Amino acid sequence: MSPHYKLIYFNARGRAEHIRFIFAYAGVEYEDERISREKWPEVKKRMPFGMLPVLEIDGKAVAQSNAVARYLARQYGLAGRNEWEALQCDVLVDTLGDLKQVLAQFRMEQDPIKKEEKKARLMRETIPFYLSKFEKMLSENNGFSVGSDITWCDFVFAVSLENFEHIFGKAALDQYPALKALKIKVYNIPSISAWVGKRPTTES
Amino acid sequence: MPPSYKLTYFDLQGLAEMCRYLFSYGGIEFEDVRIKREDWPQHKDKTPFGVLPILEHNGKVAGQSIAIARYLAKKVKLGGNNDWEDLEIDAIVDTMNDIKLKLTPMLMEQDAAKKKVVLEAAKKDIFGFYFPRLEAMVEKNKGYLVLGRLTWADFYFATIFTVCESMIGEEILAGYPNLKEVREKVNGLPAIKKWIEIRPN
Repeated sequence: MSPHYKLIYFNARGRAEHIRFIFAYAGVEYEDERISREKWPEVKKRMPFGMLPVLEIDGKAVAQSNAVARYLARQYGLAGRNEWEALQCDVLVDTLGDLKQVLAQFRMEQDPIKKEEKKARLMRETIPFYLSKFEKMLSENNGFSVGSDITWCDFVFAVSLENFEHIFGKAALDQYPALKALKIKVYNIPSISAWVGKRPTTES
Repeated sequence: MPPSYKLTYFDLQGLAEMCRYLFSYGGIEFEDVRIKREDWPQHKDKTPFGVLPILEHNGKVAGQSIAIARYLAKKVKLGGNNDWEDLEIDAIVDTMNDIKLKLTPMLMEQDAAKKKVVLEAAKKDIFGFYFPRLEAMVEKNKGYLVLGRLTWADFYFATIFTVCESMIGEEILAGYPNLKEVREKVNGLPAIKKWIEIRPN
């Protein structure tokens, strides 16, 4: 019997969307609970470390989006074919995390001059550095981020690339054809396409 | 024959020490390569993403300290006994990593006066929020962070928070005896004790 899953997050794609993609791809039912901003302060107190997303599996709560995604990936054959491929999924997800961390630091910067400097550095150096490396890897690996089949790492990329397009415009990925092709490949998977078609439309 | 694993980092504990601990604990021979700062520019472009540590094995390379640690932990039996236990370990490691990420702006702050202000805020908002929760987890888990036994989460804690402490320049675990004990327990393991005696830095 399938475990009872409840995914708790805000009404957003954010840090939960790649988990929702895993459920959709695996054809696994789950409760997609979305907490409103008003309810959040009260819910926050009940969460293990005051943060979302949290996944409840048969009533047991666990936090950390990538820990949860990795677990589900293992249950549903999305973690690569062996331990080295599993490691490669982790490497790429964490490397993308490094890039997101730089983005987060830019967004959090209060000082307007420092913020402009950080933005310039991001646009000129950091983003092109990472994206061109990812681009090279993908084109050398037949369009999959790891191994020769879909992994949870592809979902993490696809979701991030969707956000990237939202921030920088649809044409932003044109200079990265392999990344663009990966996003299209993932979003064209029937189960993913069906999910994207029916999910709540949110800003982020 | 050279060891089949090569770990490359700077000549520091930093992000690599947890991996060095895991190799030592498991009795796995490894080449402990330490790059001097002045030599880094010539090595940087040879790494997958311009950062260290990297692990080389059988002609393949992987970066990211936590990913490497998770992989090594399985080999030395400091992972979970099943996927759910791995999830519990991952969740606590990622939580500790969140703490480290939140500390980064303060650790990187050059201005001494600003740093002091940010540190005081960190003590209240970051340590003050997370450490009591971690302390309670250790109480619940018989002296370990998770699963009631030694896991790589304890290695993460012992190494990373030691680095944070030395960067902050003062004790951060005062008032958290359980957490202090986790670190002492890890550092007191025979294989780790031996490593600490012989390590270059």
